[in-house]
Amino acid sequence: MENQFSNLYSVILDTYPIEGKQLTKIWRFFEYLKEGRLTTTKCIKCGKVSYPPRIICPECLSEKLEWIDLPTKGTVEYFTELKAGVPVGFEKPLIHAYIKLSDSFDILSKIVGIKSVDDIHRGDKVKLKVFDVPPIPAEIGRDKINIDRVYFAFELDN
Amino acid sequence: MRDACVVAGGQSKWGYRDATLIELFQEAGKACFEDNPHIKPADIDGILVASACSERLSRQTHLAPMVAEYLGIKTSSVCARVELLCGSGSSAIILAAGMIKSGLSDTIMVIGGEKLFTPQRWETFYSQLGSVDHDWDGAQGLGLPPSLLSIVFQRHAALYGTTEEQLAAISVKNRRNGLNNTKGQFRKEITLQEAMSAKPVAAPLKLYDCCPITDGAAAVILTSGEAAKDFTDKPLVKIIGTAQATESNSISNRGNWTTWNALKTAASRAYSMAGITADDVDVAQTHDCFTISEVIEYEDLGFCEKGEGGIFAEKGLSDFGGKVAVNTDGGLLSCGHPFGGTGIRQAIEIAKQLKGDAVHQVENARYGLTHNFSGAVVAHTILIYGRD
Ligand SMILES: [Zn+2]
Repeated sequence: MENQFSNLYSVILDTYPIEGKQLTKIWRFFEYLKEGRLTTTKCIKCGKVSYPPRIICPECLSEKLEWIDLPTKGTVEYFTELKAGVPVGFEKPLIHAYIKLSDSFDILSKIVGIKSVDDIHRGDKVKLKVFDVPPIPAEIGRDKINIDRVYFAFELDN
Repeated sequence: MRDACVVAGGQSKWGYRDATLIELFQEAGKACFEDNPHIKPADIDGILVASACSERLSRQTHLAPMVAEYLGIKTSSVCARVELLCGSGSSAIILAAGMIKSGLSDTIMVIGGEKLFTPQRWETFYSQLGSVDHDWDGAQGLGLPPSLLSIVFQRHAALYGTTEEQLAAISVKNRRNGLNNTKGQFRKEITLQEAMSAKPVAAPLKLYDCCPITDGAAAVILTSGEAAKDFTDKPLVKIIGTAQATESNSISNRGNWTTWNALKTAASRAYSMAGITADDVDVAQTHDCFTISEVIEYEDLGFCEKGEGGIFAEKGLSDFGGKVAVNTDGGLLSCGHPFGGTGIRQAIEIAKQLKGDAVHQVENARYGLTHNFSGAVVAHTILIYGRD
Protein backbone atom coordinates (compact mmCIF):
# COMPACT_ATOMS: atom_id res chain seq x y z
CA MET A 1 0.00 0.00 0.00
CA GLU A 2 1.26 3.48 -0.85
CA ASN A 3 1.97 5.73 2.10
CA GLN A 4 4.16 8.67 3.04
CA PHE A 5 7.22 6.42 3.37
CA SER A 6 6.77 4.44 0.15
CA ASN A 7 9.78 6.08 -1.42
CA LEU A 8 11.49 7.39 1.67
CA TYR A 9 13.05 5.21 4.33
CA SER A 10 12.45 6.88 7.63
CA VAL A 11 15.97 7.46 8.93
CA ILE A 12 18.44 10.13 7.86
CA LEU A 13 21.92 10.82 9.20
CA ASP A 14 23.98 13.66 7.75
CA THR A 15 27.42 12.34 6.87
CA TYR A 16 29.13 15.75 6.84
CA PRO A 17 29.62 18.49 9.44
CA ILE A 18 27.46 21.50 10.18
CA GLU A 19 29.08 24.29 8.16
CA GLY A 20 28.29 27.98 7.58
CA LYS A 21 28.75 30.93 9.92
CA GLN A 22 25.04 30.92 10.85
CA LEU A 23 25.49 27.49 12.44
CA THR A 24 29.07 27.01 13.68
CA LYS A 25 31.81 29.11 15.23
CA ILE A 26 34.53 27.26 13.28
CA TRP A 27 33.05 28.18 9.90
CA ARG A 28 36.40 29.62 8.79
CA PHE A 29 37.84 26.10 8.55
CA PHE A 30 35.41 25.36 5.74
CA GLU A 31 35.92 28.75 4.05
CA TYR A 32 39.68 28.12 4.02
CA LEU A 33 39.05 24.60 2.75
CA LYS A 34 37.26 26.11 -0.26
CA GLU A 35 40.57 27.92 -0.97
CA GLY A 36 42.47 24.63 -0.85
CA ARG A 37 43.87 25.27 2.63
CA LEU A 38 43.81 22.75 5.50
CA THR A 39 43.78 24.75 8.72
CA THR A 40 43.29 24.47 12.43
CA THR A 41 43.41 26.61 15.55
CA LYS A 42 46.42 27.60 17.65
CA CYS A 43 46.24 29.18 21.10
CA ILE A 44 47.73 32.69 21.07
CA LYS A 45 48.28 32.53 24.84
CA CYS A 46 50.04 29.17 25.30
CA GLY A 47 50.86 28.07 21.75
CA LYS A 48 48.90 24.78 21.83
CA VAL A 49 47.89 23.62 18.35
CA SER A 50 44.62 21.66 18.40
CA TYR A 51 43.03 19.53 15.72
CA PRO A 52 40.15 19.44 14.97
CA PRO A 53 39.75 23.23 15.38
CA ARG A 54 38.37 24.54 18.69
CA ILE A 55 36.81 27.61 20.17
CA ILE A 56 38.55 27.11 23.53
CA CYS A 57 42.13 25.99 24.14
CA PRO A 58 42.01 22.60 25.94
CA GLU A 59 45.37 23.40 27.55
CA CYS A 60 44.71 26.84 29.14
CA LEU A 61 41.00 27.47 28.34
CA SER A 62 41.82 30.71 26.53
CA GLU A 63 39.39 31.84 23.81
CA LYS A 64 42.12 33.74 21.98
CA LEU A 65 42.88 31.37 19.13
CA GLU A 66 44.32 31.97 15.66
CA TRP A 67 44.00 30.00 12.45
CA ILE A 68 47.13 28.32 11.14
CA ASP A 69 47.79 26.29 8.00
CA LEU A 70 48.52 22.56 8.20
CA PRO A 71 50.51 20.85 5.45
CA THR A 72 48.38 19.75 2.50
CA LYS A 73 50.89 17.18 1.25
CA GLY A 74 52.09 14.05 2.99
CA THR A 75 53.26 10.46 2.75
CA VAL A 76 51.25 7.25 3.01
CA GLU A 77 52.49 5.11 5.91
CA TYR A 78 49.78 2.41 5.94
CA PHE A 79 46.53 1.84 4.07
CA THR A 80 43.61 -0.58 3.78
CA GLU A 81 40.40 -0.99 1.83
CA LEU A 82 37.11 -1.52 3.67
CA LYS A 83 35.44 -4.37 1.78
CA ALA A 84 32.40 -5.00 4.00
CA GLY A 85 30.06 -2.49 5.60
CA VAL A 86 30.91 0.54 3.46
CA PRO A 87 28.55 3.25 4.78
CA VAL A 88 25.93 4.46 2.32
CA GLY A 89 27.04 7.69 0.66
CA PHE A 90 30.66 6.55 0.34
CA GLU A 91 31.94 5.35 -3.02
CA LYS A 92 33.75 2.05 -3.45
CA PRO A 93 36.58 1.37 -3.26
CA LEU A 94 36.62 2.96 0.23
CA ILE A 95 40.35 3.21 0.89
CA HIS A 96 41.80 4.72 4.06
CA ALA A 97 45.41 5.73 4.53
CA TYR A 98 47.40 6.74 7.55
CA ILE A 99 49.22 9.82 6.28
CA LYS A 100 52.18 11.60 7.81
CA LEU A 101 51.61 15.28 7.05
CA SER A 102 54.47 16.58 9.20
CA ASP A 103 56.69 15.37 12.02
CA SER A 104 53.99 16.18 14.52
CA PHE A 105 50.77 15.67 12.59
CA ASP A 106 49.21 12.49 11.22
CA ILE A 107 45.80 12.00 9.72
CA LEU A 108 43.73 8.95 8.84
CA SER A 109 41.95 9.95 5.65
CA LYS A 110 39.96 8.60 2.77
CA ILE A 111 41.94 8.33 -0.48
CA VAL A 112 39.97 9.38 -3.57
CA GLY A 113 40.71 9.30 -7.29
CA ILE A 114 42.01 5.73 -7.58
CA LYS A 115 40.12 2.79 -9.03
CA SER A 116 41.69 0.03 -6.96
CA VAL A 117 43.62 -0.50 -3.75
CA ASP A 118 46.40 -1.88 -5.99
CA ASP A 119 47.05 1.70 -7.13
CA ILE A 120 48.34 2.84 -3.71
CA HIS A 121 51.58 1.89 -1.94
CA ARG A 122 53.40 2.67 1.30
CA GLY A 123 55.55 5.73 0.75
CA ASP A 124 53.30 7.25 -1.93
CA LYS A 125 52.99 11.04 -1.87
CA VAL A 126 49.46 12.38 -1.43
CA LYS A 127 47.87 15.82 -1.49
CA LEU A 128 44.68 17.43 -0.17
CA LYS A 129 41.57 17.08 -2.33
CA VAL A 130 38.58 19.33 -1.61
CA PHE A 131 35.14 18.48 -3.00
CA ASP A 132 31.56 19.69 -2.78
CA VAL A 133 29.12 17.82 -0.54
CA PRO A 134 25.33 18.31 -0.33
CA PRO A 135 24.30 21.71 1.06
CA ILE A 136 22.33 22.13 4.31
CA PRO A 137 18.79 23.40 3.70
CA ALA A 138 18.65 25.61 6.79
CA GLU A 139 15.92 27.69 8.37
CA ILE A 140 17.59 30.86 9.65
CA GLY A 141 14.99 33.09 11.27
CA ARG A 142 12.24 33.42 8.63
CA ASP A 143 14.59 32.60 5.74
CA LYS A 144 15.15 29.25 4.15
CA ILE A 145 18.64 29.13 2.69
CA ASN A 146 21.01 26.55 1.30
CA ILE A 147 24.35 26.50 3.09
CA ASP A 148 26.94 25.29 0.59
CA ARG A 149 29.38 22.76 1.95
CA VAL A 150 32.76 21.27 1.07
CA TYR A 151 34.76 18.44 2.59
CA PHE A 152 38.17 16.93 2.03
CA ALA A 153 40.11 13.75 1.48
CA PHE A 154 43.52 13.03 -0.04
CA GLU A 155 44.55 11.92 -3.53
CA LEU A 156 47.78 10.66 -5.06
CA ASP A 157 50.24 13.46 -5.87
CA ASN A 158 51.73 12.30 -9.15
CA MET B 1 32.11 0.58 52.55
CA ARG B 2 29.74 -2.23 51.55
CA ASP B 3 30.57 -4.88 48.97
CA ALA B 4 28.79 -4.98 45.61
CA CYS B 5 28.06 -8.57 44.53
CA VAL B 6 26.68 -10.17 41.37
CA VAL B 7 23.77 -12.42 42.39
CA ALA B 8 22.03 -13.19 39.08
CA GLY B 9 22.69 -12.99 35.35
CA GLY B 10 21.10 -13.98 32.09
CA GLN B 11 20.92 -13.08 28.43
CA SER B 12 18.61 -13.32 25.44
CA LYS B 13 19.61 -15.38 22.42
CA TRP B 14 22.11 -13.22 20.49
CA GLY B 15 22.37 -13.00 16.72
CA TYR B 16 20.22 -11.85 13.84
CA ARG B 17 16.96 -11.73 15.75
CA ASP B 18 13.26 -11.66 14.95
CA ALA B 19 12.68 -9.30 17.89
CA THR B 20 12.63 -5.58 18.70
CA LEU B 21 14.83 -3.83 21.27
CA ILE B 22 12.21 -3.90 24.04
CA GLU B 23 11.55 -7.58 23.32
CA LEU B 24 15.27 -8.38 23.63
CA PHE B 25 15.28 -6.58 26.99
CA GLN B 26 12.28 -8.63 28.14
CA GLU B 27 14.02 -11.87 27.20
CA ALA B 28 17.23 -10.86 28.99
CA GLY B 29 15.39 -9.70 32.12
CA LYS B 30 13.43 -12.94 32.33
CA ALA B 31 16.60 -15.02 31.88
CA CYS B 32 18.27 -13.01 34.65
CA PHE B 33 15.41 -13.51 37.12
CA GLU B 34 15.24 -17.22 36.23
CA ASP B 35 18.93 -17.57 37.03
CA ASN B 36 18.16 -16.84 40.69
CA PRO B 37 14.58 -17.65 41.73
CA HIS B 38 15.16 -16.07 45.15
CA ILE B 39 15.13 -12.59 43.59
CA LYS B 40 11.86 -11.03 42.43
CA PRO B 41 11.23 -7.78 40.57
CA ALA B 42 9.97 -6.32 43.87
CA ASP B 43 13.46 -6.78 45.36
CA ILE B 44 14.98 -4.38 42.81
CA ASP B 45 15.20 -0.69 43.78
CA GLY B 46 17.26 0.58 40.85
CA ILE B 47 17.74 -0.06 37.14
CA LEU B 48 20.53 1.06 34.82
CA VAL B 49 19.96 0.43 31.13
CA ALA B 50 22.99 0.31 28.83
CA SER B 51 22.24 0.97 25.19
CA ALA B 52 24.06 3.05 22.59
CA CYS B 53 21.82 3.02 19.55
CA SER B 54 18.24 3.11 20.83
CA GLU B 55 17.47 6.50 19.27
CA ARG B 56 19.16 5.86 15.95
CA LEU B 57 17.95 2.34 15.38
CA SER B 58 14.80 1.91 17.49
CA ARG B 59 13.57 5.54 17.62
CA GLN B 60 13.39 5.31 21.40
CA THR B 61 14.76 7.60 24.05
CA HIS B 62 13.90 7.64 27.80
CA LEU B 63 14.56 3.93 27.77
CA ALA B 64 15.08 3.01 31.45
CA PRO B 65 11.52 3.59 32.75
CA MET B 66 10.22 1.64 29.77
CA VAL B 67 12.43 -1.39 30.46
CA ALA B 68 11.53 -1.20 34.17
CA GLU B 69 7.82 -1.23 33.34
CA TYR B 70 8.11 -4.19 30.97
CA LEU B 71 10.00 -6.18 33.63
CA GLY B 72 7.64 -5.30 36.47
CA ILE B 73 10.31 -3.30 38.30
CA LYS B 74 9.33 -0.25 40.36
CA THR B 75 12.46 1.69 41.19
CA SER B 76 13.06 3.98 44.14
CA SER B 77 16.82 4.67 44.01
CA VAL B 78 17.97 5.05 40.39
CA CYS B 79 16.44 4.68 36.93
CA ALA B 80 18.56 5.87 33.99
CA ARG B 81 20.29 4.95 30.76
CA VAL B 82 24.10 4.73 30.43
CA GLU B 83 25.95 5.14 27.14
CA LEU B 84 29.59 4.52 26.21
CA LEU B 85 29.08 2.62 22.95
CA CYS B 86 30.88 -0.74 23.32
CA GLY B 87 31.65 0.04 26.98
CA SER B 88 28.06 0.94 27.91
CA GLY B 89 27.33 -2.28 29.82
CA SER B 90 30.54 -2.23 31.84
CA SER B 91 30.09 1.48 32.58
CA ALA B 92 26.64 0.75 33.97
CA ILE B 93 28.06 -2.01 36.19
CA ILE B 94 30.69 0.39 37.55
CA LEU B 95 28.02 2.98 38.34
CA ALA B 96 25.73 0.38 39.93
CA ALA B 97 28.61 -0.90 42.08
CA GLY B 98 29.29 2.66 43.24
CA MET B 99 25.63 3.24 44.09
CA ILE B 100 25.49 0.03 46.12
CA LYS B 101 28.84 0.44 47.87
CA SER B 102 27.94 3.99 48.90
CA GLY B 103 24.48 2.99 50.12
CA LEU B 104 22.54 5.10 47.61
CA SER B 105 20.99 1.89 46.24
CA ASP B 106 20.52 -1.61 47.61
CA THR B 107 19.73 -3.89 44.67
CA ILE B 108 20.14 -2.83 41.03
CA MET B 109 19.41 -4.56 37.76
CA VAL B 110 21.95 -3.61 35.09
CA ILE B 111 20.53 -4.52 31.72
CA GLY B 112 21.98 -3.69 28.33
CA GLY B 113 21.58 -4.48 24.69
CA GLU B 114 21.03 -3.32 21.14
CA LYS B 115 18.82 -3.93 18.17
CA LEU B 116 21.37 -3.41 15.39
CA PHE B 117 19.76 -5.17 12.44
CA THR B 118 17.24 -2.73 11.03
CA PRO B 119 14.75 -3.70 8.30
CA GLN B 120 17.29 -2.29 5.84
CA ARG B 121 20.75 -3.43 6.82
CA TRP B 122 22.75 -0.55 5.34
CA GLU B 123 21.42 1.63 8.11
CA THR B 124 23.51 -0.13 10.77
CA PHE B 125 26.85 0.75 9.16
CA TYR B 126 25.66 4.23 8.22
CA SER B 127 24.62 4.93 11.82
CA GLN B 128 28.08 4.12 13.16
CA LEU B 129 29.51 7.24 11.54
CA GLY B 130 28.40 8.89 14.78
CA SER B 131 30.46 6.59 16.97
CA VAL B 132 33.73 8.33 16.15
CA ASP B 133 34.12 12.14 15.96
CA HIS B 134 31.32 12.54 13.42
CA ASP B 135 32.48 15.71 11.71
CA TRP B 136 36.16 14.78 11.33
CA ASP B 137 36.53 11.00 11.32
CA GLY B 138 32.97 9.89 10.51
CA ALA B 139 32.98 12.17 7.47
CA GLN B 140 36.00 10.18 6.22
CA GLY B 141 33.89 6.99 6.33
CA LEU B 142 35.50 5.69 9.53
CA GLY B 143 32.44 4.47 11.46
CA LEU B 144 32.87 0.89 12.55
CA PRO B 145 36.58 0.42 12.99
CA PRO B 146 37.87 -2.44 10.75
CA SER B 147 40.00 0.00 8.73
CA LEU B 148 41.50 1.47 11.87
CA LEU B 149 42.30 -1.94 13.39
CA SER B 150 43.77 -3.11 10.08
CA ILE B 151 46.26 -0.26 10.34
CA VAL B 152 46.88 -1.04 14.02
CA PHE B 153 47.74 -4.63 13.03
CA GLN B 154 50.02 -3.52 10.20
CA ARG B 155 51.95 -1.34 12.64
CA HIS B 156 52.07 -4.07 15.31
CA ALA B 157 53.34 -6.53 12.68
CA ALA B 158 56.03 -4.08 11.52
CA LEU B 159 57.19 -3.40 15.10
CA TYR B 160 56.92 -6.86 16.68
CA GLY B 161 56.57 -9.39 13.87
CA THR B 162 52.99 -10.36 14.77
CA THR B 163 51.55 -12.61 12.06
CA GLU B 164 48.19 -13.31 10.45
CA GLU B 165 48.54 -16.94 11.66
CA GLN B 166 48.75 -15.70 15.24
CA LEU B 167 45.55 -13.71 14.74
CA ALA B 168 43.92 -16.80 13.24
CA ALA B 169 44.87 -18.78 16.37
CA ILE B 170 42.72 -16.35 18.37
CA SER B 171 39.77 -16.77 15.94
CA VAL B 172 40.05 -20.55 16.29
CA LYS B 173 40.25 -20.40 20.11
CA ASN B 174 37.34 -17.98 20.51
CA ARG B 175 35.13 -19.82 18.00
CA ARG B 176 35.81 -23.05 19.91
CA ASN B 177 35.01 -21.32 23.21
CA GLY B 178 31.77 -20.11 21.62
CA LEU B 179 30.43 -23.62 22.18
CA ASN B 180 30.39 -22.69 25.90
CA ASN B 181 27.68 -20.04 25.46
CA THR B 182 24.40 -21.63 24.40
CA LYS B 183 22.93 -18.21 23.55
CA GLY B 184 25.85 -16.87 21.49
CA GLN B 185 25.64 -15.89 17.83
CA PHE B 186 28.13 -18.40 16.40
CA ARG B 187 28.43 -21.89 17.84
CA LYS B 188 30.63 -23.70 15.35
CA GLU B 189 34.35 -24.38 15.44
CA ILE B 190 36.56 -23.20 12.60
CA THR B 191 39.99 -24.44 11.49
CA LEU B 192 43.14 -22.38 11.17
CA GLN B 193 42.94 -23.00 7.42
CA GLU B 194 39.39 -21.59 7.24
CA ALA B 195 40.46 -18.52 9.20
CA MET B 196 43.51 -17.94 7.00
CA SER B 197 41.64 -18.33 3.70
CA ALA B 198 38.58 -16.21 4.61
CA LYS B 199 37.73 -13.19 2.50
CA PRO B 200 39.22 -9.82 3.49
CA VAL B 201 37.15 -7.26 5.42
CA ALA B 202 39.90 -4.63 5.68
CA ALA B 203 43.07 -6.41 4.51
CA PRO B 204 45.01 -7.96 6.10
CA LEU B 205 42.06 -8.44 8.53
CA LYS B 206 39.75 -11.16 7.28
CA LEU B 207 36.22 -12.32 8.07
CA TYR B 208 37.05 -14.34 11.20
CA ASP B 209 39.23 -11.54 12.58
CA CYS B 210 36.13 -9.36 13.03
CA CYS B 211 33.15 -9.68 15.35
CA PRO B 212 29.71 -9.68 13.73
CA ILE B 213 26.73 -7.32 13.91
CA THR B 214 24.41 -8.60 16.64
CA ASP B 215 20.98 -8.13 18.16
CA GLY B 216 20.78 -9.07 21.82
CA ALA B 217 20.55 -8.10 25.46
CA ALA B 218 21.90 -9.27 28.82
CA ALA B 219 21.21 -8.49 32.47
CA VAL B 220 22.81 -8.89 35.87
CA ILE B 221 21.58 -8.08 39.35
CA LEU B 222 23.95 -6.49 41.86
CA THR B 223 23.34 -6.15 45.56
CA SER B 224 25.21 -5.47 48.78
CA GLY B 225 27.28 -8.18 50.45
CA GLU B 226 24.80 -8.41 53.29
CA ALA B 227 21.72 -8.77 51.07
CA ALA B 228 23.56 -11.18 48.77
CA LYS B 229 23.66 -13.76 51.57
CA ASP B 230 19.83 -13.79 51.56
CA PHE B 231 19.74 -14.39 47.81
CA THR B 232 22.38 -17.10 47.38
CA ASP B 233 24.30 -19.87 49.14
CA LYS B 234 27.04 -19.83 46.47
CA PRO B 235 30.40 -18.10 47.01
CA LEU B 236 29.86 -14.33 46.70
CA VAL B 237 31.21 -12.75 43.52
CA LYS B 238 32.33 -9.22 44.42
CA ILE B 239 33.38 -6.25 42.33
CA ILE B 240 36.79 -5.46 43.79
CA GLY B 241 38.38 -3.21 41.18
CA THR B 242 37.09 -0.77 38.57
CA ALA B 243 38.70 1.76 36.26
CA GLN B 244 38.00 3.71 33.14
CA ALA B 245 40.54 5.71 31.17
CA THR B 246 40.43 7.47 27.82
CA GLU B 247 42.81 8.90 25.29
CA SER B 248 42.28 11.19 22.34
CA ASN B 249 38.86 10.64 20.86
CA SER B 250 40.02 12.25 17.64
CA ILE B 251 41.96 9.78 15.51
CA SER B 252 44.54 12.38 14.50
CA ASN B 253 45.71 12.96 18.07
CA ARG B 254 46.72 9.40 18.94
CA GLY B 255 50.38 9.19 19.78
CA ASN B 256 50.85 5.44 19.93
CA TRP B 257 48.69 2.94 18.06
CA THR B 258 50.26 -0.31 19.23
CA THR B 259 50.50 0.45 22.95
CA TRP B 260 47.14 1.47 24.35
CA ASN B 261 48.21 3.82 27.12
CA ALA B 262 44.69 4.37 28.44
CA LEU B 263 44.33 0.61 28.84
CA LYS B 264 47.57 0.51 30.84
CA THR B 265 46.35 3.39 33.01
CA ALA B 266 43.01 1.66 33.66
CA ALA B 267 44.64 -1.71 34.34
CA SER B 268 47.08 -0.22 36.82
CA ARG B 269 44.29 1.49 38.78
CA ALA B 270 41.98 -1.54 38.74
CA TYR B 271 44.71 -3.97 39.88
CA SER B 272 45.78 -1.61 42.62
CA MET B 273 42.19 -1.19 43.89
CA ALA B 274 41.69 -4.96 43.86
CA GLY B 275 45.03 -5.55 45.56
CA ILE B 276 46.16 -8.00 42.88
CA THR B 277 48.53 -8.10 39.90
CA ALA B 278 48.05 -9.34 36.34
CA ASP B 279 49.55 -12.67 37.41
CA ASP B 280 46.64 -13.25 39.81
CA VAL B 281 43.97 -13.09 37.09
CA ASP B 282 42.63 -16.61 36.44
CA VAL B 283 40.06 -15.79 33.78
CA ALA B 284 39.48 -12.71 31.61
CA GLN B 285 36.91 -11.55 29.10
CA THR B 286 38.66 -8.95 26.95
CA HIS B 287 37.33 -6.88 24.07
CA ASP B 288 38.04 -9.11 21.06
CA CYS B 289 36.04 -7.07 18.54
CA PHE B 290 39.07 -7.88 16.37
CA THR B 291 41.72 -10.53 16.89
CA ILE B 292 44.46 -7.89 16.93
CA SER B 293 42.65 -6.17 19.82
CA GLU B 294 42.98 -9.31 21.94
CA VAL B 295 46.73 -9.46 21.14
CA ILE B 296 47.33 -5.90 22.37
CA GLU B 297 45.06 -6.49 25.38
CA TYR B 298 47.23 -9.43 26.57
CA GLU B 299 50.19 -7.09 26.43
CA ASP B 300 48.75 -3.95 27.96
CA LEU B 301 46.83 -5.83 30.67
CA GLY B 302 50.20 -7.32 31.64
CA PHE B 303 49.47 -10.98 30.81
CA CYS B 304 52.66 -11.03 28.68
CA GLU B 305 55.50 -8.74 27.65
CA LYS B 306 54.97 -5.95 25.11
CA GLY B 307 55.13 -7.32 21.58
CA GLU B 308 54.63 -10.94 22.64
CA GLY B 309 50.83 -11.05 22.40
CA GLY B 310 50.90 -12.96 19.13
CA ILE B 311 53.22 -15.62 20.51
CA PHE B 312 51.12 -15.78 23.71
CA ALA B 313 48.09 -16.78 21.61
CA GLU B 314 50.06 -19.12 19.36
CA LYS B 315 51.40 -21.05 22.36
CA GLY B 316 47.91 -21.48 23.81
CA LEU B 317 48.75 -19.42 26.92
CA SER B 318 45.38 -17.61 26.69
CA ASP B 319 43.44 -20.87 26.38
CA PHE B 320 42.09 -23.21 29.06
CA GLY B 321 45.08 -24.71 30.87
CA GLY B 322 47.32 -21.78 29.86
CA LYS B 323 48.50 -18.78 31.89
CA VAL B 324 45.13 -17.00 31.88
CA ALA B 325 41.99 -18.23 30.09
CA VAL B 326 40.77 -15.39 27.88
CA ASN B 327 37.27 -15.16 26.40
CA THR B 328 36.12 -18.46 27.82
CA ASP B 329 32.59 -18.14 26.41
CA GLY B 330 33.77 -17.17 22.92
CA GLY B 331 34.09 -13.42 23.37
CA LEU B 332 32.71 -10.92 20.89
CA LEU B 333 34.03 -13.02 18.01
CA SER B 334 31.60 -15.86 18.81
CA CYS B 335 28.87 -14.40 21.03
CA GLY B 336 28.51 -11.28 18.90
CA HIS B 337 28.52 -7.67 20.03
CA PRO B 338 25.28 -5.84 20.82
CA PHE B 339 27.25 -2.91 22.28
CA GLY B 340 25.35 -2.26 25.53
CA GLY B 341 25.02 -5.99 26.19
CA THR B 342 28.66 -6.98 25.86
CA GLY B 343 30.08 -5.91 29.22
CA ILE B 344 27.13 -7.55 30.94
CA ARG B 345 27.63 -10.82 29.04
CA GLN B 346 31.26 -10.70 30.16
CA ALA B 347 30.19 -10.20 33.79
CA ILE B 348 27.82 -13.18 33.57
CA GLU B 349 30.59 -15.49 32.33
CA ILE B 350 33.06 -14.25 34.97
CA ALA B 351 30.49 -14.74 37.74
CA LYS B 352 29.85 -18.31 36.56
CA GLN B 353 33.58 -19.02 36.45
CA LEU B 354 34.13 -17.68 39.98
CA LYS B 355 31.15 -19.59 41.38
CA GLY B 356 32.29 -22.80 39.68
CA ASP B 357 29.15 -22.90 37.48
CA ALA B 358 30.69 -22.38 34.04
CA VAL B 359 29.98 -24.66 31.07
CA HIS B 360 33.76 -25.02 30.61
CA GLN B 361 35.27 -24.29 34.00
CA VAL B 362 38.65 -22.69 34.70
CA GLU B 363 39.74 -24.78 37.65
CA ASN B 364 39.52 -23.01 40.99
CA ALA B 365 39.15 -19.54 39.46
CA ARG B 366 39.36 -16.84 42.12
CA TYR B 367 39.94 -13.58 40.23
CA GLY B 368 38.27 -12.57 36.96
CA LEU B 369 38.66 -9.49 34.78
CA THR B 370 36.54 -7.88 32.09
CA HIS B 371 37.72 -5.27 29.62
CA ASN B 372 36.07 -3.21 26.90
CA PHE B 373 37.35 -0.57 24.61
CA SER B 374 34.97 1.74 22.86
CA GLY B 375 35.00 4.07 19.88
CA ALA B 376 38.19 4.32 17.87
CA VAL B 377 40.13 2.51 20.67
CA VAL B 378 39.47 5.57 22.83
CA ALA B 379 37.98 4.55 26.19
CA HIS B 380 39.04 1.49 28.18
CA THR B 381 36.79 0.07 30.90
CA ILE B 382 37.98 -2.60 33.33
CA LEU B 383 36.24 -4.48 36.12
CA ILE B 384 37.88 -6.98 38.44
CA TYR B 385 35.75 -9.55 40.20
CA GLY B 386 36.83 -11.73 43.11
CA ARG B 387 35.25 -14.41 45.25
CA ASP B 388 35.74 -15.21 48.91
ZN1 LIG C 1 46.20 27.70 25.45
